[in-house]
Amino acid sequence: MNKKRDRLQVIHDILKAIQDRNGRIKPTHILYKSNLSHQMLEEYLGELISKGFVVENNSKTGKTYSLTPKGFEYLNKYRMIVEFVDSFGLNEPQDIKT
Amino acid sequence: MRMVHLYFMPNWFVGYNILLHIIFCIITLLVSLFAFRVHKMSGQRQPKLFSIAFLFVSLAFFIESIMNLLILAELNEHVTLVLEDITSIALFNFIINYAHIILFSIGLVTLAYMTFRVRSAKIYSLLLIITLVPLFFTSNPLYLYYLTSSILLIYILAHYLINYLGKKQTRTLLVLFAFLLLLFGNIQVFFSISNHEIYYVIGHFIELIAYLLILMNLMLVLKHEQKARPAPGHS
Repeated sequence: MNKKRDRLQVIHDILKAIQDRNGRIKPTHILYKSNLSHQMLEEYLGELISKGFVVENNSKTGKTYSLTPKGFEYLNKYRMIVEFVDSFGLNEPQDIKT
Repeated sequence: MRMVHLYFMPNWFVGYNILLHIIFCIITLLVSLFAFRVHKMSGQRQPKLFSIAFLFVSLAFFIESIMNLLILAELNEHVTLVLEDITSIALFNFIINYAHIILFSIGLVTLAYMTFRVRSAKIYSLLLIITLVPLFFTSNPLYLYYLTSSILLIYILAHYLINYLGKKQTRTLLVLFAFLLLLFGNIQVFFSISNHEIYYVIGHFIELIAYLLILMNLMLVLKHEQKARPAPGHS
């Protein structure tokens, strides 16, 4: 995993972690796979839920997250996005200086 | 400004240059639209700037090619022109040329600004002002335009050289080579101002190769799109 990851990569890592677990995963596993702090993960998951990429499922065994069709679609397009961004040098800087 | 070049380009090239500009317009528009789609999907700022830059370049070629087409049609229709017609066509030409220069310059400034990776309206506005304002006060806007656009292209090229050195891939090399050719093409057209009409033709063919390389890169990106496996229970 890269030391410096942009927002796009982090979102991809979270979605990929869910996808690799057959589309359903516990938050602790996402935390481990995505290499984020608990607070950062909460923020990202909140954004992904609000954008309709991920749904939260509450059951007796605890909280799990699963991908929506839009989440899968995002992963499909992600490869294309990365290839476009990489080839045209459009990578977002980690820290934007003003 | 390109129609001023009518006096410096071979007669046989009239018409072909309009065709080339239409091709450039379509390619840059495709790149702009795709970059905007990437921006919408990713929410990233760099693709948005890239999209805006290519949209301005596309508009520059669109206005130039359409208006030149109209002038050419007018000239073909009225073989014998009265002095008044010639004056109005020259004025029309002048407006088209300035429109092209301004739109193309805004495109290049936006692209150069994007490569700086800063978020500053002050820097962007300063770049725009120092690029555009002198064009209205110089006695020879053509020279100034090609000079400033060459400088901007050198900065853009430096970005793509760094990008290639960071990621040595065929696609990054294609883009680097495309911008290198755009710079060479720009310099060639610059020489055509001094009555060397063949440079105008060479410059345009170099630009054609450059835009085709950009299109090829876009096609490669689309070709390499891979489908993610849907999880069980999801269609």
